[in-house]
Amino acid sequence: MSQEPTRTERAASDDDRIDADTDEDVMVKVRNLRTYYEGGGLLNPTPVKAVDGVSFDIRRGETLGLVGESGCGKTTLGRTLVQLESATGGEILFDDVDATELSGTELEKWRRNAQIVFQDPDSSLNDRMTIGEIVREPLDVHDWKTPRERRQRVQELLDTVGLQREHYYRYPHQFSGGQRQRIGIARTLTLEPDFIVLDEPVSALDVSVQAEVINLLEDLQDEFGLTYLFIAHDLSVVKHICDRVAVMYLGHIMELGPTEELFSDPANPYTHSLLSAIPEPDPTVEKDRIRLHGTPPNPRHPPEGCPFSTRCPARIRPDEYEHLDNELWTRLNTLREVLRERERADRTVTDRIRELLGKDPRFGTIDEIYDELFADQSVPSNVDAILEEVADHVRANDETAALDQLKAEFGGACESEPPEYYTVSDTGRQSFCHRHDDGYRSPDEVLNTRHR
Amino acid sequence: MSYDEHDDETFRERIDANPRPALIWIVGLIVLLAVELGRIVDGIIALGGAIRFALSGIAAGPSWIGDNVAGTLGSAVGTGAMILTALLLLAIAGSLVKTIFVPGSPLKRLGYDIDQTKQTIDLLDRLFLTAILAVIALLAITSPFSGVLESGINGLTRGLESVSSLPTITGRETISNEGHRTPGGGWEGTFLGLSPAWAWALRVLVVYAYAFVALAWLWKGYTIFREHYREADWTPRDDSINRFRNHYWGIFGLIIVFMFVVMAIWAPALGPVDAEHNLYSPYEHEFEYLDDDTVVSTTHGTANLQSQSQGGESTIGLMSYDDFDRWAPFGTNQDGKDLFTFLVFGARTSLVIGVTAIGLATAIALAMSLITAYYKGLVDTLTIITSDTIISIPAFLLVLLLSVIFQQANHPIADVYNGGLLLALIFAGIYWPGLWRSIRGPSLQVAEQEWVDAAKSYGQTPAMTMRKHMAPYIATYIMIYASLLLGGVIIATAALSFLGLGINPPTPEWGRMVSDGRSYVSTTSWHIATIPGIMIVFVVTGFNALGDGIRDAMDPESDTGTSDAGAAASGGGG
Repeated sequence: MSQEPTRTERAASDDDRIDADTDEDVMVKVRNLRTYYEGGGLLNPTPVKAVDGVSFDIRRGETLGLVGESGCGKTTLGRTLVQLESATGGEILFDDVDATELSGTELEKWRRNAQIVFQDPDSSLNDRMTIGEIVREPLDVHDWKTPRERRQRVQELLDTVGLQREHYYRYPHQFSGGQRQRIGIARTLTLEPDFIVLDEPVSALDVSVQAEVINLLEDLQDEFGLTYLFIAHDLSVVKHICDRVAVMYLGHIMELGPTEELFSDPANPYTHSLLSAIPEPDPTVEKDRIRLHGTPPNPRHPPEGCPFSTRCPARIRPDEYEHLDNELWTRLNTLREVLRERERADRTVTDRIRELLGKDPRFGTIDEIYDELFADQSVPSNVDAILEEVADHVRANDETAALDQLKAEFGGACESEPPEYYTVSDTGRQSFCHRHDDGYRSPDEVLNTRHR
Repeated sequence: MSYDEHDDETFRERIDANPRPALIWIVGLIVLLAVELGRIVDGIIALGGAIRFALSGIAAGPSWIGDNVAGTLGSAVGTGAMILTALLLLAIAGSLVKTIFVPGSPLKRLGYDIDQTKQTIDLLDRLFLTAILAVIALLAITSPFSGVLESGINGLTRGLESVSSLPTITGRETISNEGHRTPGGGWEGTFLGLSPAWAWALRVLVVYAYAFVALAWLWKGYTIFREHYREADWTPRDDSINRFRNHYWGIFGLIIVFMFVVMAIWAPALGPVDAEHNLYSPYEHEFEYLDDDTVVSTTHGTANLQSQSQGGESTIGLMSYDDFDRWAPFGTNQDGKDLFTFLVFGARTSLVIGVTAIGLATAIALAMSLITAYYKGLVDTLTIITSDTIISIPAFLLVLLLSVIFQQANHPIADVYNGGLLLALIFAGIYWPGLWRSIRGPSLQVAEQEWVDAAKSYGQTPAMTMRKHMAPYIATYIMIYASLLLGGVIIATAALSFLGLGINPPTPEWGRMVSDGRSYVSTTSWHIATIPGIMIVFVVTGFNALGDGIRDAMDPESDTGTSDAGAAASGGGG
């Protein structure tokens, strides 16, 4: 990670990118895709923004990796691509047909082309059916040829995925996890799809079996010319199988580019942090980890600007506070997170009564919070003055004003507006970060100075 | 057994390849059926009658609704409502016929190639079948055809009736226990001249022996299938069956329930006297007995008057003859009627009500649980509200209320089976929410399984997904709850009849027996209330035990516990 920081060539707009991609053999074009889960009750209409405006292309015959931590929306994105979830907005152009618009016969025909392999082989096979019935069911649904030919085809497929023909009459109980995943793969292959979403296909398997299944998937890709979207959180598997990788965080794609390049020279601060979390098997290697503080924000209330702005190690800071200690910045971030939580939490009647009576409220007082956060820090006077004003707002139970004040003082471009996608290398790698703009220092540089 | 030989073979081909075991079994089955042919055909006739009754009830629906609507909104609207209801019923019937009897698409088979979605084709198929049914229905009510149809059905029934009069091995005539003493000291008219007691005991023995042999033969058929003809050498069901076989409490329940069902099915053969003669119209049937060395005849009614069990001296107790040499294994009741005959026919009543009620409730609960778990949302909320509304009213109170309303209003439904059908319908309406609630958890769970998503991803229809991928899992649970609830229905029916509200006389019912005999419990005629009471306890315990057994056998949650016990037991048995 000590390479020269790649300077941004130009700020690419969305349209430019689409033009740039048309000369390649693109199979799936995803444009500004959004999948929201509606709020659970009448009182809570705010939807969970699982996928919030995602655009990318999948080229014919390639394997596109999709990585990110749990809950970032990668599974939802995969399920939306095969229409198991309906998209809230945007389009999925599958050979220039918008899959989100399809219904009835067209959707049924389209489904033959896009299949999904599920994560958990225990849950994806119906235990009460024989392997033959399970693998044959898609053929039955689509009324494929005669029953005898279906049976023939299923047995060939079992052969193809490395099982035996006689397994036709066995039940899923009688197979190991790896074998069950092979059965699941055989089922997705029955309809001869062009595009398969692999939703963490090996993460539920033993490491030794993982390699076998990965090799099988690669062989199948060569044999049938398949296109994969490979969803995973295991970066080493992704590095092995994928041609290109998309890094996802909180419903957004943070960086997308060729695997080798992305792993050796990440551009986006989030990719940096993610890669630095890979454990190093050699204990003697000195590694500077970038440690992220806190947890990802609630996807029901994502941050206004960049989705990663609440935790970003390379966040743009206002000039007058640039010199502040890293630790103090972390504490300030924590303070803002606590206040955000308090702003969202509803105060119950009991809480209010306790406050009126002067008893301990459920929330700690602002003094307690300050004690905990800043007692051991040397806080410069200008910061201290702001913190005092913030404390006054909080004492008046006005967290919103307190947050506004903190944002006005300590916020920057990252928190006020979402970044754009910048092309960061000759291979067309895209990164979603303000830092690539010419007006700012690049993420590499910042991370080097702040965290090395 | 090698699998390669079985590649591409259908079930029939597998039987052709090795016909011997199947042939032996089928010959055995034919023998078993032949010796009871008369009774089986009898059953078919009765079933046909019930279906005919139900169909005519449904067919009367449109005009009934039409009349009701015409009464309030005028005749034009009434006719409209009638036609609408008729169309609706036809559409339902068309869909049912489509799903049950017609595999694939009838339109496609007729050569119409429609380029539409599966759903549209399905809808068109249903409409097509509905139209055919409508034409048939119209033909059936127009005069020449209805006459032909009627006479055809009657002819068929007569033909079947002539078959049903064939002697059967368990028939009353084959092993007769109705005869009279001869002055010489022997018996005349009974089987081999045995005493009525022995002849009756022999018949009961034959009935139960036949029933158990038939059960064993069916089991044998299953094992033959499993051994010789099944493609899979192991299925998950095998494990369940093995677990059940080591579950002695469950087997005890199964035996009790089986004996109860046999009692209900063979009720006419088990009674020492003919129910029609002794219970329903005692003054229209005569029998002969030996009175001071002369054989005289009298009606059952007259004899019953002198065989009453009302405590004190006038008691015909257990295992005794009355003054007319009629054998009464469980004595007589307070009216002098034979208690055992009463009891076996009461079993029939309880079983019919229980099975109808639970069958309906289970069907509703299963359908609702599949639909609500698959679609969730508004359907789910509405079902919750409906079921909570029903559950919130005390069940027994609701049963009382509804049965009184229908009986006081002399609604036609209240007359069927002396109120039995009404009770069954009420129970079904009251018990389905509970059943639905108890299987709601499992059905929501199974709806979240990835194989349901997988089915959706390759375009399986919702109805098929529910049937293939969800119903088998829920069926297990619902069987457990249904078998437990069946006992509850039997008790509730008995309780209602005890209060004088359930089944009206003369249809025998156990609860009414307890009610009638309760004033004699402390006298020598204690048996009138005690024996049916004990029977109720036994049968309900049996159903509960069976439910326990099924649960332990099928519930994957109890896997570890019972399979350990099973392993220990089979280890001990070698």
